[in-house]
Amino acid sequence: MKETKEIQQQEETVQIVIFKLGEEEFGVNILQVREIEKLDQGITRVPKAPHFVEGIINLRGEIIPIVDLRRRFGLTLPEIGYNSRVIIVEVGDALVGMLVDAVVEVLRVPVSAVEPAPAITKGVDAYFLAGVAKIDTRLIVLLNLERTLSSEEAKELNEAELG
Amino acid sequence: MEVSQYLNVFMDECYEHLQVLNQSLLTLEKEPDNSELLNSIFRAAHTLKGASATMGFNKMASVTHAMEDVLSLLRQKELEVTPEIINVLFDALDLLEILAKGITEGQEENIEVAGVLQGLKKYLAADLASERKEKEERRTTLQLRYLPEEIEKIKAAVEGGLALIHLSLTLEKDCLLKGARAFMILRELETQGEIVRTIPTAKELEDEKFDDDFIIGILSKKPVGVLVQFVEKMLDVKAVKGEIVEVDKLLVERRGTVQSTTTTSDEPQKTSQVKASSSISPTVRVDIKKLDDLMNLVGELVITRSRLEQISLEKGDQLLGETVEHLSRLTLDLRDQVLKTRMVPVEQVFSRFPRLVRDLAKETGKEVELRISGAETELDRTVIDEIVDPLVHIIRNSVDHGIEEPFLRAECGKKEQGVVELRAYQTGNHVMISVTDDGRGMDPEKIKARALEKGFMTPEEIEGLEEEEILNLIFLPGFSTSKEVTDVSGRGVGMDVVKTKISALGGVVQVSSVKGEGTTITIRLPLTLAIIQTLIVQLGEDVFAIPTGYIEQTISVARKDIRKLRNQEVAILRGEVIPLIRLQDFLGVPQAKNEHLEELDVVVVRNGERKLGCIVDTLLRQQDVVIKSLGSYLGNIDGIAGATILGNGKIALILDMRAVA
Repeated sequence: MKETKEIQQQEETVQIVIFKLGEEEFGVNILQVREIEKLDQGITRVPKAPHFVEGIINLRGEIIPIVDLRRRFGLTLPEIGYNSRVIIVEVGDALVGMLVDAVVEVLRVPVSAVEPAPAITKGVDAYFLAGVAKIDTRLIVLLNLERTLSSEEAKELNEAELG
Repeated sequence: MEVSQYLNVFMDECYEHLQVLNQSLLTLEKEPDNSELLNSIFRAAHTLKGASATMGFNKMASVTHAMEDVLSLLRQKELEVTPEIINVLFDALDLLEILAKGITEGQEENIEVAGVLQGLKKYLAADLASERKEKEERRTTLQLRYLPEEIEKIKAAVEGGLALIHLSLTLEKDCLLKGARAFMILRELETQGEIVRTIPTAKELEDEKFDDDFIIGILSKKPVGVLVQFVEKMLDVKAVKGEIVEVDKLLVERRGTVQSTTTTSDEPQKTSQVKASSSISPTVRVDIKKLDDLMNLVGELVITRSRLEQISLEKGDQLLGETVEHLSRLTLDLRDQVLKTRMVPVEQVFSRFPRLVRDLAKETGKEVELRISGAETELDRTVIDEIVDPLVHIIRNSVDHGIEEPFLRAECGKKEQGVVELRAYQTGNHVMISVTDDGRGMDPEKIKARALEKGFMTPEEIEGLEEEEILNLIFLPGFSTSKEVTDVSGRGVGMDVVKTKISALGGVVQVSSVKGEGTTITIRLPLTLAIIQTLIVQLGEDVFAIPTGYIEQTISVARKDIRKLRNQEVAILRGEVIPLIRLQDFLGVPQAKNEHLEELDVVVVRNGERKLGCIVDTLLRQQDVVIKSLGSYLGNIDGIAGATILGNGKIALILDMRAVA
């Protein structure tokens, strides 16, 4: 409710946090983003967690799982570099960190610029996507976080891997 | 939806009242003449009725209503407290507990209540006639009387153009929350004029101490008809009569001669107030989630404190050092206090046992006295919830298998009434709970025979056992010494379940018994589950915490002493063969360093009877850690019990040794 109202007041725009995986630009709705963290403390690996869970970090006393989006989408493997960031997002009642190569900017995008995603966009299955936003020459892939980070699916995958 | 908001509060209160009912009924059984007790039972039933009706739980409301009716007859001494009635009341109470459970599960509507209601109403029917007559009498005697000064006031008001109107109201028979309704009516009427007096008094109305009708004396400018219409519009009002009363026809109430109706209704009120102030200290209900959050923050604080201590050591500044030390003390005090807020007395669990023992004794035809001590001992809430089942099991065993039949006891020269003693006390960071009976005790020979029969051990193995070890055989899965399977215990789940549950809580169960004299089962539990003692170990670059509850010992094994048995690496420790695993293999951690060491550090963990040696890289230290969950996203991961944050801010995973061993 609140979300849609705000968007209407701002003449139908959404604010999107844009980040990079490799050279491609992806985006998530800012309303789902809790904060963006640098990775200076290192990630603690969790044995037997799903393969795309990089590990856990300590965010001011809270344990936050870190999902490696490249592994999640089956893209080429990442290197954690100087620009790497963790975008902490709220999904359902859980906080999850998404490991990305860099955070670019926060952009206000008119809703009209968002189109449904083609079956596969930049190597990512449309199942994980909320749409694509075309801004000038840029094509920003918007994530459906509920699906990208679905813990139900994470658990299933985990079981499948173990079994 | 609005209801769900209050559901938690309602359920909490509901269980509280049920507990009071249970306890009081038990006592009432022993002291049938205790009218104080009857009052408190009545009040609990009454409150429960009101609350459940408000929440719309009709079945619960109808059962409590019927209970209340029976109780009120008992209170007025029109019925006598007989064992039969007590049993019926207990039945009703059991049903209420089922209903309460049903409510939480959303199943209340499907629960059958007719049988119990009939049982209760049987007692009502006999006295219904006399009660009805009494009500009629009371109705006719309802008269408004005024104090002299009130009459003066009325005179003045009437001279000022107002009229004194008496409104006689009758509420609908099935009106729920009559008290609240009456209160609303009075409040609404206050907009129409000044209420001088009501009969019964406003307080009594509010407390629901009236039948369906009452009279209001109001000074108002409005005509009688308007007022009557005004009241008629309100909910649950069945009938209204209004009349203007002349000042000189007013009845004067003389002071000192209080009407009989008020005395009877005042008395229990007074006692209730006294009771309230003596037994209940002011409390606040807090969501357990908030306490968990608080605990989290305090854990953080403790960690930051250690960092600060480190910095202060490096700086070597005396003033800083002193301040940090002070901060340390404060932080630890704070942590202790927060832990305390999560503690609840074991009484919450113990209070259900008198009833359990009573019922068991009746079923088995034994005489058993339950003695409870240390019920005020406190345990973490999370632990409390978990120990109920194990304790129920142990107590059932004591009554069913431990205590002998009265004639047998007499033959042995014991008192016919057996004693089961339930004790709780705190020692250091642990709470001990023991259940002792003065029954027949355990026979080591029988246990041995049983273990042989079941094939748990070879005759040679058994001969080597100490008596205590023999007794501990009862914790083996599938062990049960009682030949007959009774309704009470011996349903195929035995002491092994108790042991598993207690171990899962990081506790220990012990048994000691003297044949012919009795048995004691002792449970040792950690004070809290939020903080546990662990051994911190290193594996490659990662650090893990192993709860010390599982650790039997740590040993150092030379590589050359490791043997292979059927493809399984083992070490031999004082003649005992201990299988070894490399924790890195189990966890899939790369780069363990122990591949090249000559001396290996091994943590021997124990899960039930199984022992397992875990090879690690380095034993770092023992440390109390605050357990944090991995969160709902990761859920339960096999072998990982949670995580904790160490003094340097790094995370260490806490291993669940039950999955490893």
